Amino acid sequence: MTTREFDGIQLERVREFVWEIPQEGDMRVPARVLASEALLDEIGGDKTLQQLKNATHLPGITGHALCMPDGHQGYGFPVGGVGATDVEEGCISPGSVGYDINCGVRMMTTNLTYDDVRGHEEELVEALFANVPSGLGGGGVVESGIDTVEAVLSRGVDWALEEGWAVEDDLTHCEDEGVRPDADPGAVSQKAKDRGKNQLGSLGSGNHFLEVQRVTDIYRDDVADAYGLEPDQVVALIHCGSRGLGHQTCTDYLRKIEKRHGDLLADLPDKELAAAPAGSELAEEYYGAMCACINFAWVNRQLIMHRVRQVFERVFDRSWESMDMHLLYDVAHNIAKKEVHTVQGEERELYVHRKGATRAFPAGHPEVPAAYRDVGQPIIIPGSMGAGSYVLRGGEASMDLTFGSTAHGAGRLMSRTQAKQEFWGETVQDELREQNEVYVKAQSGATVAEEAPGVYKDVDEVVRVSDALDIGDKVARTFPICNIKG
Amino acid sequence: MSYELRSHTADVAVAATGDDLGETVAAVADGLAAAMCDEIPETGERFSLTVRAEGLEALLFDYLDQLIYERDVRGVLPVANEASVREAGEGWMVAASARGVPLADVTARDVKAVTYSEMRIEEADSEEPRSSSSRPEADDDGWEAYVVLDV
Repeated sequence: MTTREFDGIQLERVREFVWEIPQEGDMRVPARVLASEALLDEIGGDKTLQQLKNATHLPGITGHALCMPDGHQGYGFPVGGVGATDVEEGCISPGSVGYDINCGVRMMTTNLTYDDVRGHEEELVEALFANVPSGLGGGGVVESGIDTVEAVLSRGVDWALEEGWAVEDDLTHCEDEGVRPDADPGAVSQKAKDRGKNQLGSLGSGNHFLEVQRVTDIYRDDVADAYGLEPDQVVALIHCGSRGLGHQTCTDYLRKIEKRHGDLLADLPDKELAAAPAGSELAEEYYGAMCACINFAWVNRQLIMHRVRQVFERVFDRSWESMDMHLLYDVAHNIAKKEVHTVQGEERELYVHRKGATRAFPAGHPEVPAAYRDVGQPIIIPGSMGAGSYVLRGGEASMDLTFGSTAHGAGRLMSRTQAKQEFWGETVQDELREQNEVYVKAQSGATVAEEAPGVYKDVDEVVRVSDALDIGDKVARTFPICNIKG
Repeated sequence: MSYELRSHTADVAVAATGDDLGETVAAVADGLAAAMCDEIPETGERFSLTVRAEGLEALLFDYLDQLIYERDVRGVLPVANEASVREAGEGWMVAASARGVPLADVTARDVKAVTYSEMRIEEADSEEPRSSSSRPEADDDGWEAYVVLDV
């Protein structure tokens, strides 16, 4: 048997791209890493594997604690982590969802081609930057009071529809039609709502961005047809989350759990894995609060997307409807959802924690929106500013291998502090412009350096593993034209 | 008191030292500001905050969380932090102040949240981490702290 070892942690090769850390000591289940040898070398280079091992201690964890091919060190559960816990006998873990609840990505298609946009890149990037709030303290697309925040938390994209920031079609192309019915705005603190008030419709900073892209490759014609994708087509990709409101909500529950369930926490190897026992008052409250934050994040991305439509109208001097600017799909990266999965022949309801991982339900699954049920759920995997992004579809093997999940991005390789030593924002910007014809505009040069293409893993390799394992199959590749960030 | 930003694959870590606990947590808070902004102007008014928590790590966590909250609701970057820490009843208390630089005056990046990941707050060079029940008196080596911030 092939084995690999990193810092005393042994992995056994189960089959191609599947590595297992056997169960030992207080681990409740074994852990698995889905990676090629090259990606495993990177994953083994920081504390990802130790964090993955720690996650196997969560009460009620089922099957395996999993690390997707883009996994890297985070806090508590590693980024790229998937962990399913029993809804009745397990726990729900805010730290295993992450601070940025429903951080995610959406893609909007258009009927424009790359040729239509060429010559307008400068104007487009300037107009997007001027009209889509980003960075710290940049406000939001809408000025909102506390009543608006409450409405958004309970009604999600339905609120946006009523206010003229969405059309029906946007709802039918979003997970859960853009509304989590389990949302409980009363479980979200006043502090969190105060932070959310002036951030509704804003990108934030860090790795969040808005990109106009062109489709460079199609790998599966029938699925691409169903998704409305074709070569040379222009699309827009939006990556952001629930902003300060979500960050505060995670923080609040982490502290509440620490105070009320200290006994459970004492048995966990990392405080950031803080979990509320299934059925406890805090588990219910957190689930309601998290679902409300999911709604907030969907509306956040919806407002930005609708603002992008308005910017395109101005730049190309025609209506967005005439440019067929439709939501392809919206995927969540940081989320825990009650889902039914078959475990060892038995149907069980589980909290599936995905932290830096994307749901990847295959064709035929009842939770895939009707528009895509015949081909599988769209998955959007963004790469760096200098690399392609991918559209995948949920693969047949995802339910058996990964609780219906795959990767969420390229995955970081280099720290932000090191990136700022190695790269200079303006140089990165100039090189992208000259060598790749990518127009970048950011609030902060440091952000450009921290997000330089060189700090990420090879997204092609991440997608290759997902495709080969049949958890998420390659449908199309896109490449940036314009990128704005905080 | 001093701080240093340290490498972390996805996020940013702050390592800080101080002669006493107050200086040490204030140095971490200055590190939080540095993680968001490279060049800090002299503008802004000072504001005060008081935070209580059940233990030292919890106090550091809640103090930084409160600064992030103040940043978002006041629209300022809290810099030039000053703090004093003392025992209060069963727990700990920090009385602190910061200069709030209007966000409009700076190009700043978001720090989403403070984390407990790898958090340390203890006496420098001590063999054993000081428990939260011991007294926060300064000694020759002072105190040190380490915090990972979610970016």
